Amino acid sequence: MKYDIFFAGVGGQGILTIGEVLAEVAHYKDIPANFYPSKGMAQRGGFVKAQLRLGRENVGPNIPQRGADMVIAMEQSESLKAIPFIKPGGDFVLYSDIWAPTAVALGKAPYPAFAQITEQVKLAGARLVHIAPGQLPEYAGELVHANLYVLGVIMGQTVLGTLIRSEDVEHIIQTRFKRNTEANSFAYRSGLGMPLVVS
Amino acid sequence: MKKLITGNEAIAYGALRAGVKAVTGYPGTPSTGCLSSLLAMNLVDTYVEWSVNEKVALEVAAGVAWSGHRALCTMKMSGLNVAYDSLISVAYSGCDGGLVVYVADDPGANAGMCEQDSRSFAVMADMPMLEPATVAETYALTKFAFDLSERIKGPVFLRLVTGIADSYAEVEIEQPVPVSQAAPLLIKDIQRFTKAGSVIATNQHRDLIQRLEQAGQITDEVRLNKLSLSSRPGGLGILASGIAAAYLEEGFEAAAPFGFNREDVSTLEIKVVHPFPAAEARKMLEHCQTILILEELEPLIERGIIVEAQRMGYRGKITGKLDGVFSRIGEYGVPQVVQGIESVLRLGIPENLLSGNTQALKLAAARPITVCAGCPHRGTYIAIDKAIKKLRLKKNEVMVTGDIGCTILGMNPPFDLIWTEISMGASVSLAQGYVHAGVKTPVIATIGDSTFFHAGIAGLVNAIQHQIDLTLVIMDNRWTAMTGMQVNPGTPCNNGASAYQEIDIARIIPALGIEHFWMVDPFDVEETAGVIHQAMTLPGVKVVLARQECAIQAQRQGKQAGKVHVVEENCNLCKLCLMVTGCSAFSLGANAIEIDPELCYGCGVCIETCHHDALVAEEA
Repeated sequence: MKYDIFFAGVGGQGILTIGEVLAEVAHYKDIPANFYPSKGMAQRGGFVKAQLRLGRENVGPNIPQRGADMVIAMEQSESLKAIPFIKPGGDFVLYSDIWAPTAVALGKAPYPAFAQITEQVKLAGARLVHIAPGQLPEYAGELVHANLYVLGVIMGQTVLGTLIRSEDVEHIIQTRFKRNTEANSFAYRSGLGMPLVVS
Repeated sequence: MKKLITGNEAIAYGALRAGVKAVTGYPGTPSTGCLSSLLAMNLVDTYVEWSVNEKVALEVAAGVAWSGHRALCTMKMSGLNVAYDSLISVAYSGCDGGLVVYVADDPGANAGMCEQDSRSFAVMADMPMLEPATVAETYALTKFAFDLSERIKGPVFLRLVTGIADSYAEVEIEQPVPVSQAAPLLIKDIQRFTKAGSVIATNQHRDLIQRLEQAGQITDEVRLNKLSLSSRPGGLGILASGIAAAYLEEGFEAAAPFGFNREDVSTLEIKVVHPFPAAEARKMLEHCQTILILEELEPLIERGIIVEAQRMGYRGKITGKLDGVFSRIGEYGVPQVVQGIESVLRLGIPENLLSGNTQALKLAAARPITVCAGCPHRGTYIAIDKAIKKLRLKKNEVMVTGDIGCTILGMNPPFDLIWTEISMGASVSLAQGYVHAGVKTPVIATIGDSTFFHAGIAGLVNAIQHQIDLTLVIMDNRWTAMTGMQVNPGTPCNNGASAYQEIDIARIIPALGIEHFWMVDPFDVEETAGVIHQAMTLPGVKVVLARQECAIQAQRQGKQAGKVHVVEENCNLCKLCLMVTGCSAFSLGANAIEIDPELCYGCGVCIETCHHDALVAEEA
């Protein structure tokens, strides 16, 4: 299997954590992988991207344009930066959260509408998997972590779910995060479309 | 044991496997992760330090190596410029213990600095330079670099680019080798360890050149570069340097549907970027009709092979940057491999095979980098702005020089305050030049704490000696923040790092004989603005130390400056608070501005921006 994932979002959303979890799953299952997170100079709120390349030995870190089997984007405007990279026929997963830059909040700069994103995804010949922030479920009265929910959706609704096993993803989530294990499982399984099995 | 590690960590583990005695460096993206991973290991037998700057780091490492022990020195490309003064001398002298200098370059300026190609420094210093194509190779090359250094008795460069330094991949890690406890060599040999006199210097130069030649012989012997000649001569030969080699197979796959046959192509994957692998290059020239060179940034390898081709009377075609096919800007990847193949073989590969729709990028909202919620620099920027207004001047009439690190973020909206950025510490000296040029309005220099210690202090000494009229604002957030929170000489000691002596800038400034010196809290914008205003009206060198800990780091220690509350009925959504502070804790609610309690550090800088008493401080 050869499978490339391009990530785009902003700092603070936990999007890089999705990549780290998947890279650890690959490591755990002896799948060759190269994971290249790129934070630039940004702290919270700045553009972040990452590239995960699965299944190739000795691979360069950068996915070529039109080369990503899947895009995972967690901010509406930043998702546009992934458009050149999606492969025709690939899965474009968009969690349409909006982190408006100050100039946008002040009404001094435009911000792309959701319809503009869907049009671009269509032009690129990709399949849109849309997750609205309003979809996030609550666990014990608090919204679950969006990134783990998104990861669940990805495993349930994209090709990646046929290439790696959901149990392995959940195993890594549980070993990686020692705290709130139940809430994390709930977030992941809600995304996956599975009910929480209370043990 | 197989581990998922970054290229930076691969150097750290490789150095431990080589039994490294001391590791020094200065933080710089993308090199930082190497030394910080070693610090986190709390090693007992290996000494690890963040030095005050790269020149000092290199000199410390050289002392270890001259005493017969192994040392690693880490830095980013700009840091190498700082260390270079000493590096030329150290290269001339050579070393007894292995000395490896790790430098990280950033093609594509992903980390936002420059596209300096540090390979040219290896040429200038006559030092061998090794460069891996992958994370796994990084580990192996690091171990080899120490051996090579000891065999030639001279320092060796190890170069990574961002894509490898920050990439995670699986690497087979061996147990660290015990660190040598041998007594340090005390070699008294002025012929080797001083530079005084032309006889000494020219003899050392001769030895240096011999060491480089020897390095070439050793790397040839162990076949560090990977040469693969096709079964039939006369075809295409590709030289790929460093990371470019990692994209070859993928590029070949992409070109295959257009009639490209991998078996017809010879390749030379170059890991020894200096000295130029002349013998292997000659084999390629003898075997191939056409030569394609894939290397990021400068045409260094390309020039090398053109020289060999000239010496051999080669009649084939050589394609790279010098004939205009490739750019000297940006990262290389699969598209360059395919483009290169198409340019020499003309297979009819469509130009847009690997280019997506970049029109979409134009629709994305601009997201200028700015300071975090609670950042103390925000108060300082607003205070400088107020001080300028108090003097009845406009922002575009007052030169405010900037420096490296988070403090430069004042160049962006909503502050639009800082005009310049050169290199570590340059703000203070550059400001003096503006004064000499006859700028009539007050000149202000801004600098962070780590940057002040690194190189700013020399500029300040110069300003004092020559009695220049300028105001220096030192924005002391107590940490080397932008590279991810490293300690510097001014960082308070109680931070969990091993013991060191804290050096207080507030005591250095008066000791330099500066009469007009104030320490202020940038969260108190009125007071800070008043002090800066006063400083701007006085003659000579004035220093304002704006001190408040980085909010990210303070919050990690459970600290909270306060709490700001929105009085909804007072808010008319004029957005002035957002306009002035640009704070990311604000968002627009339906009837009033909203504050994210998770993000708000309670600095209170926003409170006085509100004319309607809608923002009030709460007791924390």
